[in-house]
Amino acid sequence: MNDTRQEWLATGAIASGMLGCGMRLPDSTCQSYSFNEMWPREHLDQVLQQLAETMTLLASHGLAPRRLIWTFEQGQIFLIPRPDGTLLALATQPNTAAAENVDQLAEEFFSLNSSN
Amino acid sequence: MDDDVDFLAMIQDFFVTLGENAWQIHCASSADQALEILKIRKMDLVVSDVNMPMLDGVQFLHILNRRHPDLKKAVITSNATEEKRSACLAEGAELFIEKPRSPEGLKSIFIMLEELITWTPGEGFQGVLRRVGLQDVIQMECLGRNSSILEIHNQQLRGRVYIEDGRIIHAQTGNTVGESALYNLLAIPSGEFQLQPFEPPPKRTIEGQWESLLMEAARVRDETMAAQTPAAGPAPKPELLPAVKTSTPASDLAACIEETLICSGTGDPLYVWQCPDAQARVALLQNVAQQAAFFGQLVPLGSFDRLEMQLADSRVVAQVKADRMVFVRVSTDGEKPTTRTL
Repeated sequence: MNDTRQEWLATGAIASGMLGCGMRLPDSTCQSYSFNEMWPREHLDQVLQQLAETMTLLASHGLAPRRLIWTFEQGQIFLIPRPDGTLLALATQPNTAAAENVDQLAEEFFSLNSSN
Repeated sequence: MDDDVDFLAMIQDFFVTLGENAWQIHCASSADQALEILKIRKMDLVVSDVNMPMLDGVQFLHILNRRHPDLKKAVITSNATEEKRSACLAEGAELFIEKPRSPEGLKSIFIMLEELITWTPGEGFQGVLRRVGLQDVIQMECLGRNSSILEIHNQQLRGRVYIEDGRIIHAQTGNTVGESALYNLLAIPSGEFQLQPFEPPPKRTIEGQWESLLMEAARVRDETMAAQTPAAGPAPKPELLPAVKTSTPASDLAACIEETLICSGTGDPLYVWQCPDAQARVALLQNVAQQAAFFGQLVPLGSFDRLEMQLADSRVVAQVKADRMVFVRVSTDGEKPTTRTL
């Protein structure tokens, strides 16, 4: 993954309540960042790969989501796919600044140059 | 139970005589004594005074109702007011009687209590549901096409939801009625409820499908919770919340629902509406449940509630609970995706 994306991911997503974030490229490579010790990076990578499989599963049911929100008691996982197949995953605590910032991050994610 | 031990002794003798020793009567002069007796002996009926020091009769009934919901309860008091009567009946007392002033009065009470002991409730189940959501109760009533009144209260708010033949027809809390009242009640984080027999409401203030009403209530509750985050300042009490302004009235939202499926936790369809392939939707819900469980094993997330999908022209909510799964698709007419939840 190129430096621009890594830097954006590592710094841009930091906000109060952000537990972790990650990006999965169309070639299946992943880059995750943990902002909470209970959310190890390796586990975030696994979550991200599983989220990618969810997209495939949903497609088999005729559903092509522009955004997925998994809501749990103690956290939410947002998945935002780009048309080029890149996925952005954001894990936040519910009702926090991080959760409120998802729209902004999604816009930035879409504006990232795919060739970078 | 009565803190007047002389009255206790007198009524015990009298009832044993009238009952020709058929009754076993255990006396307690305080609530804690009574609760201790109930721990070790199974009783058919508890008869309590109201005005007592420390724990009064209403509070005692409240505890009894929680710990021994099947136990029949009667109240005898020398100070019978309408307020106390209502409070005692609301806490589950089957009888509220004024203390007798004559042997004839005592005999009448004995007959009433004996009737109460032999009385058996009609068909149906009685019990206590713990940690149950109001939405679950309403959903259960609506799916069963029941008619009932759901009385809800906590320390800040008290209200009623009227359900007739499985349709929510009226809600009231204080001076607020209609959908706003329903959403305010369903936004209560915790409290108590009782299902009462149906009576016609003073007026009908709610139309629309119960599914869309509950979805809108969930959206309003989410927005209320978001507004109550520390950054937004101190949380207002529910009773101080303004009348809920909904961008889309539930009656209009009903027209936007494209598909609904509700099934049991094991995948048996309970309610299917405009679902092109119910089995496929059930399979999808089961996959969602498996994936949520997988995520829960990797990272600490707590219990799973729902997966929302924002599609190009619709929004889907897939909710998975231990006892049921719900799939609802609502058209959004190309609405821009945001973090707003259903």
